[in-house]
Amino acid sequence: MRFLIIRKADTSTEAGVAPTEELIAAMGRYNEEMVKAGVMLSGDGLQPTSKGARVKFSGGQPRVIDGPFTEAKELVAGFSILQVNSKEEAIEWVKRWPQIDGGGEVEIEIRQLYELEDFGPSEAIDRMREVGFAKPR
Amino acid sequence: MRFMLLVKADKDSEAGVMPDEKMLADMGKYNDEMVKAGVMLAGEGLQPSSKGARVRFSGGKRTVLDGPFAEAKELVAGFWLIQVKSKDEAIEWVKRVPFPGEAEIEIRQVFESEDFGPEFTPELRAQEERQRAQIAAQRR
Repeated sequence: MRFLIIRKADTSTEAGVAPTEELIAAMGRYNEEMVKAGVMLSGDGLQPTSKGARVKFSGGQPRVIDGPFTEAKELVAGFSILQVNSKEEAIEWVKRWPQIDGGGEVEIEIRQLYELEDFGPSEAIDRMREVGFAKPR
Repeated sequence: MRFMLLVKADKDSEAGVMPDEKMLADMGKYNDEMVKAGVMLAGEGLQPSSKGARVRFSGGKRTVLDGPFAEAKELVAGFWLIQVKSKDEAIEWVKRVPFPGEAEIEIRQVFESEDFGPEFTPELRAQEERQRAQIAAQRR
């Protein structure tokens, strides 16, 4: 099963504060362990919401709102995708997150991804499988 | 440049209501267009937060909180990762998402290695490139 690991934003990430060499190195070591264990599928960081936007649909009509957005603790600052055997295993990996990130104050959300098998049979799902969605490992 | 398109959760996604066949077909068509245009890198749906957890780090302590989490509108229900030439192009794609009725999608630019300064040393850059190559090889 796959999990999306969401590193929540904080005032530093929203201010676009660049990570120190020490933090980049610590994240590199952490990722290295996950890559070696074959659990890491991807990982990326997001620019502050000041460079983003939101599109709100109401009655099917889109409305664009430019960032920044204020509720920092509810925003996403980065993510990775892990392939593990259980939620507990995902939690164990997350507990090993580098301590120096966010000055030790960080919140990380762990969310299970849908797999194509979670959906009933349909042409649309067959088509997604064809184009390479949720490639099984 | 790459953008992450975050689909916000709502009551239905948090209740684990599965999309009907029409919705799946509409999304399939939309994804097909993005794949054909060479824009789409990934797209996934998230199970309700009731199947998830949060780990809070504070002063060296780790606290695990099991889901569900209450603030549905701030939660993520799915995402796309796309490769486009500008934020405006990302917005144009998002405007065409075939969601009927009410929905909110957040558009966020993804950091590329060239966005970092000298703190991202040549050694660390090489390590990351090697890791990405290793992941790609594992997935093949």
